[in-house]
Amino acid sequence: MIVADQLNKHFKIYETKKGFIGSFASLLSTKHHIVKAVNDISFTIEKGEFVGYIGPNGAGKSTTIKMLSGILHPTNGRIEVGGISPQKRRKEVAKKIGIVFGQRTQLWWDLPLRDSFDILKEMYKVPDAKYQRFLKLYDDMLQIGKFMDTPVRKLSLGQRMRGDLAAAMIHDPDILFLDEPTIGLDVNAKTSIRAFLKELNTNEKKTILLTTHDMDDIEQLCSRVIVINHGQIVLDGTLEELRKNIGLPSLMEIQYREKPDVSEVKLTGIEKMKWEDEKLVILYDRSVLSSPSLLQNVTQWGEPLDIQMKEPDIEEVIQKIY
Amino acid sequence: MVYWILLQKSFMRNMQYKVAHLINNAASAIFGFVFIAIWVGVLQGKENESPYSALDMTYYISAVQCILWVSGFLTAGLNIQNGVRNGAISLELVRPTNFFLYVTSQEAGRLLYNFFFRSVPIGLVFALTVGFYLPQHPATYIYICISIFLAVIISVNLHYLVGISACWTTEIAWAHFVNFTLLVGLGGQLVPIDLLPSPLSALTPYLPFAGAIYYPVMVFLEKASNEVIFIQLFWAVGLTLINMWLTEKARHKLEIQGG
Amino acid sequence: MSLYLKLISGSLRSRMQYKMNFLVSSISYGLIMAVDFVLLAAILQRFNDVKGWNLYEVGLLYGISSVAITLYRVFGVEIHNFERYMVEGDFDSLLIRPVSPLSLLLTKNLDLSRIGGTIQGILILAISIFGLNLKNFELFLLVLYLPISIISGVAICFSLGLLTATIAFWTQRIKDFQTFTLYAPFNAANYPMNIYPSWLKLIFFTVIPVGFMNYTPILFLLDKGGSLWNLALPPAVATIFLFLALRFWQFGIRHYHSTGS
Repeated sequence: MIVADQLNKHFKIYETKKGFIGSFASLLSTKHHIVKAVNDISFTIEKGEFVGYIGPNGAGKSTTIKMLSGILHPTNGRIEVGGISPQKRRKEVAKKIGIVFGQRTQLWWDLPLRDSFDILKEMYKVPDAKYQRFLKLYDDMLQIGKFMDTPVRKLSLGQRMRGDLAAAMIHDPDILFLDEPTIGLDVNAKTSIRAFLKELNTNEKKTILLTTHDMDDIEQLCSRVIVINHGQIVLDGTLEELRKNIGLPSLMEIQYREKPDVSEVKLTGIEKMKWEDEKLVILYDRSVLSSPSLLQNVTQWGEPLDIQMKEPDIEEVIQKIY
Repeated sequence: MVYWILLQKSFMRNMQYKVAHLINNAASAIFGFVFIAIWVGVLQGKENESPYSALDMTYYISAVQCILWVSGFLTAGLNIQNGVRNGAISLELVRPTNFFLYVTSQEAGRLLYNFFFRSVPIGLVFALTVGFYLPQHPATYIYICISIFLAVIISVNLHYLVGISACWTTEIAWAHFVNFTLLVGLGGQLVPIDLLPSPLSALTPYLPFAGAIYYPVMVFLEKASNEVIFIQLFWAVGLTLINMWLTEKARHKLEIQGG
Repeated sequence: MSLYLKLISGSLRSRMQYKMNFLVSSISYGLIMAVDFVLLAAILQRFNDVKGWNLYEVGLLYGISSVAITLYRVFGVEIHNFERYMVEGDFDSLLIRPVSPLSLLLTKNLDLSRIGGTIQGILILAISIFGLNLKNFELFLLVLYLPISIISGVAICFSLGLLTATIAFWTQRIKDFQTFTLYAPFNAANYPMNIYPSWLKLIFFTVIPVGFMNYTPILFLLDKGGSLWNLALPPAVATIFLFLALRFWQFGIRHYHSTGS
């Protein structure tokens, strides 16, 4: 369904100078450096796959999604979405894909949800019968019926996201690109949206590419994970493989009164230890080494001033590992 | 002095956009050229019917285009209405600073910026193309400084009046439109107010709008007696007092109703 | 077409949610334009004419120019405020639809508050036509031609708006350019072109061709000079200019595809 073949996207960043003269000078200057936002990425996604596309901020996730949907054109490389190049035939690809950006809504801000749907129905030329079936189905799945006549600006974030998801499905696309669809939502809203996505994938056989910061999204939804960092794929495999590779460790940060020498420490369960400024950062696997026993150990190395424990944050972990 | 710092900050904030403003200055000058062309066209062959020659009007329009940036194009409502809308005004009114000075000193910084990066460059464009009047009497330079200063105070106060009205009406778009229209219409932006049709020409010299644009320009061109400064002074003081009083009213209203 | 109606009615309904605000802003916008014209009337009442153009004759130019720019402001509001799409990064959401971004922009919104200005302009046109006391045939020709002149004017204005909007692909912000490319030229086009120095005339008949929309045809229609060709020029210039603007817009979008925002 989706093919990316040796995809590259380079941006020229022009230098800007400060000050009065400088602002004129930088208008004329051609000094620049090249940022490789996406650097030689290749993958193929088959029909019905649910792929998590993850990596730290600025790793190239959005750039990739923008290229797949035809917003950006690759510097070089080949893309096919549903067998068509989004770069050459953007409008045709647009009919085959649904896109949701968690950060900004695609709905008409001042209008009731229903009106947004009506407009999109016309835009994608959805036949009446099909449209009625759509409204029925998505009311069942997302319970959007309750707020169909409320202006979008008055919806809660969770309701708005449900509306956005339904709006992306109005033309019944085979492929869905979801950019942070659960960002900022509360637990209930997240749960209902995950249930919906799961259903789309298993019952309707939709192909879904999802970016997220939320590890739970990945664990509950994705059959495959692609990890990207600095514009390159660092891992492409199942969730099990991701676990095996990076372990999804928990994090402990300890600040000592005096920095102890920990280079000799060997403890099963610790995956990585390093100094970040004055803090000792330990990545460990909780299933092997329990937090209390690690705590006991770290207090023996020196006198801790402050200890912080964090649950695995996918971005942070990837940045630390690679 | 906190107001001086506010003024400086506001000046520096505007500095960020100076390149865009320089482009805008060219457009502002074109507006001036259009108005000058109208007057030159109108007065062609009719200069003896008019109190002003074509050259007078050229100088007049050039000077108006410059002063508009310090006493004409101010921020709508001095942004007071935004504070009313989001409720920040309750906080600002109870600060130990004087609210009136707090608001006006920020606008003053912007106007000071406008003077250097709008009025002066536009004036230079006119000086190099159609010519710019320079006062003959040394004393005029003192009077013009006073007159411009008073013009700025009058205009800032008019805009403050519009802004503070938001405490009672919330929406000030219409009030700003009306104020701005009167300011440029009766202030003499296109037509020197003594050339307006009869009932208007008798009334407008005593309105504050004349004090914001017309009088400083006429003082600069040495075509008005310097006593017009007293009319300006009257409005500057009067409007300031009205605004102080309204600010107290607004504070009182917010204290009782909590916004 | 039915998509367009849906979008327009949607835009109307969202506007109507702020009825009072809408009413007030349309009235005040009309008022500002009225005052501008009243001042011009005050000058011409006293001095009779400007280089051979009396108040009603200037009124024709004024009316056409203001109807044209206000209609552009009504229908082209999203083009006019295009910098928002660059500054806030909303342009992406236009590129995920199976419709061209330009049609999306044109159908996204209407700024009906500008209608006040259009009505103002039509009133000025009506007053001027009555005031001119034209003979039957001249009157007939003028009234027949006015829509062509206005449509050409809207097209020229739209083209200028689109050219300026396209600049935003490189500079992000365009508000200050608009004063230069739209406000100042359309203000100038309120008055006869023969009052301007030659370098300004050159601009208004070439790079910013506002002179063609009203001055050129009215010159002939009021028997002030020119030939029948003067009536063919406005639509011709508007068409060519629109074509160029659309090409530049396409070029801008290609640039966006390769650089993003």
